[in-house]
Amino acid sequence: MKVTVIGGGVAGIQTAIALKELGLTPIIIEKNDHLGGKLCGWHKLFPTMTPAEQVLTPLLERVKALGIEVMLSTEVTSIDSDGVQTSQGRIESAATVICSGFDLFDATLKEEYGYGIYDNVITSADLERMMNNGKVALADGTQPHRIAFLHCVGSRDEKVQQRHCSKVCCVTGVKQAIEMRRWFPKSEIYNFYMDIRMFGAGYEEMYRSAQQEHGIQFIRGRISEAAPVLNGKVQIKAEDTLIGRPLKMTVDLLVLLIGMTAGQSNKCWTRCAGITQSDSMFLKPKNMFAGNVCSDAPNIFYAGTVTAPKTIGESLNEANAAAMRVAQYLGRL
Amino acid sequence: MHFDLHTNPFAIPFTIGCIVMFAVLAYKYVRWIYRLPKSDKRLIRKNLFSSKSWRAVCEAISESLLHRRIFRTNPILGYMHMSLAFGWFLLIVVGFIETVAYMGWTPIPLRGHVFFKFYSRELEHSALWQSVFTNIMDALLLFVLSGVALAWLKRLYSRMMGMRRTTRHVWGDRVALSALWFIFPLRLIAESTTSAIWHNGGFLTGSLGEFIDKTLSFEAIWHLESVSWFIYALALGVFFCAMPFSRYMHIFTEVPLIFLRKYGIKSDVQPKSFDHFQIEACSRCGICIDPCQLQRDAGIDNVQAVYYLRDRRYNMLTAEVADNCLMCGRCAERCPVGVDILQLRQNSRYTLHNSPSFRRYNYLQGVDTSTGSGRVGYFAGCMTLLSPRIMNAMERIFKAANEEVWWADKNGGVCCGRPIKLTGEVDAAQEMVKHNTELFTKHQITTLVTSCPICLKVFKEDYNLPGIEILHHSEYIDRLIQNGRLKVAQNSGKYTYHDPCELGRGCGIYDEPRRIIESIGVLLEPTETRQQALCCGSSIANTAINDEKQLKIATSLGQTLEATGADSIVTACPLCKKAVKRGSRLAVLDLAEIVADNLK
Repeated sequence: MKVTVIGGGVAGIQTAIALKELGLTPIIIEKNDHLGGKLCGWHKLFPTMTPAEQVLTPLLERVKALGIEVMLSTEVTSIDSDGVQTSQGRIESAATVICSGFDLFDATLKEEYGYGIYDNVITSADLERMMNNGKVALADGTQPHRIAFLHCVGSRDEKVQQRHCSKVCCVTGVKQAIEMRRWFPKSEIYNFYMDIRMFGAGYEEMYRSAQQEHGIQFIRGRISEAAPVLNGKVQIKAEDTLIGRPLKMTVDLLVLLIGMTAGQSNKCWTRCAGITQSDSMFLKPKNMFAGNVCSDAPNIFYAGTVTAPKTIGESLNEANAAAMRVAQYLGRL
Repeated sequence: MHFDLHTNPFAIPFTIGCIVMFAVLAYKYVRWIYRLPKSDKRLIRKNLFSSKSWRAVCEAISESLLHRRIFRTNPILGYMHMSLAFGWFLLIVVGFIETVAYMGWTPIPLRGHVFFKFYSRELEHSALWQSVFTNIMDALLLFVLSGVALAWLKRLYSRMMGMRRTTRHVWGDRVALSALWFIFPLRLIAESTTSAIWHNGGFLTGSLGEFIDKTLSFEAIWHLESVSWFIYALALGVFFCAMPFSRYMHIFTEVPLIFLRKYGIKSDVQPKSFDHFQIEACSRCGICIDPCQLQRDAGIDNVQAVYYLRDRRYNMLTAEVADNCLMCGRCAERCPVGVDILQLRQNSRYTLHNSPSFRRYNYLQGVDTSTGSGRVGYFAGCMTLLSPRIMNAMERIFKAANEEVWWADKNGGVCCGRPIKLTGEVDAAQEMVKHNTELFTKHQITTLVTSCPICLKVFKEDYNLPGIEILHHSEYIDRLIQNGRLKVAQNSGKYTYHDPCELGRGCGIYDEPRRIIESIGVLLEPTETRQQALCCGSSIANTAINDEKQLKIATSLGQTLEATGADSIVTACPLCKKAVKRGSRLAVLDLAEIVADNLK
């Protein structure tokens, strides 16, 4: 029996693999020309510093080995009860799993930080790309001496309609700070945060080691604005809320830890009966406890960050859960 | 000949009503004028016998009687108000002339004039006089009745008169309103019944009288006559008693308001006696409700000018109502009475929130982080500093125009004071005004350019900067282009322009931004533009609404702007830029950005 999997990121790939192993016939529809989703852009994964390809490569090999059908460069335009409509034609299927993931927050919306205006203001995703390319440097090719990370850019921020916590950026900030320490052992590194949320196994330990072993400074206070100064440096203004004093600092590089926002496509999915968005615009699961991967439509399921910000491990687990539910629904269990 | 005012006591309610009304009116007006500050009294003395009084008379006729401004909102609505006000006024005037024509210049009590038809029924008079006066009076009565009929219709279907929403009235207003609605139909019945017996009616009361004469028995008509005159007098009495305490206080109050306004008296940041004239001149017509975006987009329905003025009048104003206003001025633009709503709200906030604490701002002393040394000063303002693209664009423009600039706050400066002034903390704002004034004077600038209309407004209103020309960057850039100091390249871009409230309605700057855009690309106007332009919803003047509601307003504005078919939205206020961006998928740019990006 055919099952459509929308999205070929980690959640989509793992869902398809699990479905195939359960004896169903999944088809992955991916809008890009390659599988892997956002994971392709990541360098190392927290908290173990596992290279991203160590997670992705086995998944891709498994897709190949199982002979799972994949449609690349194809966009799903609508979902209905017996299949999906794509840019390459209609696909009939008995069930659909939406794994279309999230979007990265557009940092230009926080104009006060100067992303896209000043050369040495970058996002956490830009930094991952730089590390993947093997060259981390300032715009003029020199090394940064003082680096600031800013947490919660596009998370927990009413002004840009992102009230939710993106969950993974805190630990990403800690991870990237440690990585920067390894790239530039003599640099000063500051993390500006409002809360540090270390929710996963090994995260708190990583945070502690960032402070104790890697000498990374954590300052509680959001940066209010950034301004350019001579030589491409960036002056930031913030408040150290623990001592209650405003501070100004000139840094060589400002890294914005951008949050996860609900995928643009979510709005399109809600046109199908049984699919609704929550206030954060992520899709709303049928039940937050026993029905995390289910929609209100009986044959439409969710996996991964389409419903909320999640880590890679959580997305992979959800993929298995969704596949199980699909099999149950189709009477294969 | 009989003209006996004493045999029938039906007019007593009317007489009581008149006494109550005139006593209360006199008490109020005398008190308010007595309590005016000396400077205001001086203005009255100076202008009382000047041409200003004559102009006030003209305005009073055109607005209080003819209601020209309401005609502009909607012709039917205008006719309704005019027929009631002007029609009633003529009934009184012609009625007076009628009495004089019959009786000569003998002083008779007021009720003799008002109920002349009743008292004069036994008088003998020439047929000509009778037919002229009764027919004129009947025509006027018909005129007023048409207005009453429209008022009834308006209750049922206000959209016919261009109003989607009408005022929710308080209990007292409902009593007065009901009395008013019944006065004229009752007058028609009373006069017609008298005419049925005495055959002294015109084309309206006479014909109805004949009909009554034919349908009812003689005895019934006699009873009906005394009852109907009594109820008519009662309705008048109730209306007059309720009038000074209800919305109908506006009938008289608008007149002194027009005079005082013409003499140059204005409301201030602090409350004063003149405010009473403004507050009680509000007729609660509710024309201010529809333009309010808090109503139409955010569903807030208890803070509009009409409700704010009502609450303030009856001493039940809460901070929630006073603070929940964008101060965009869209309501003031439409107010038929011309109440200075923004200034009144400002001074309510002063009463509620002003807490002078001068030590709070000691740290301002000596703060000067300015750079550069030109005669042209540039004050970015807080919001521009948070919008580096605008700052960046201004730098490029100054450079292209070869202007030497003194940068007031590039490295952070002191706020212009308007945000805190708008919250009501006028004294705190003054500290900032003082500081920045000293700064501008010290650096001997001759021109002060700002990118922020909020700063612009306070510079123009509250700063005393002799010898310094204050310009918004749109005026400054426009001038550079006109002088040929700045050359811009034409492109094929389609732009729409959002008028910031503080720049448009606040400072009257509409043309300069448009001229600049037209020198670069095509300008497409949204449906509501210039004086009618929408607010972005993120106004600093509103400290009460939440982000969600601000966003609703921004989204609705975004849709209006997108409907023009433009590729990008241009505005001239850093705060609007941020707000509009949240409500639209189009690119949102400041005027300075499109100029800097298209320099030749």
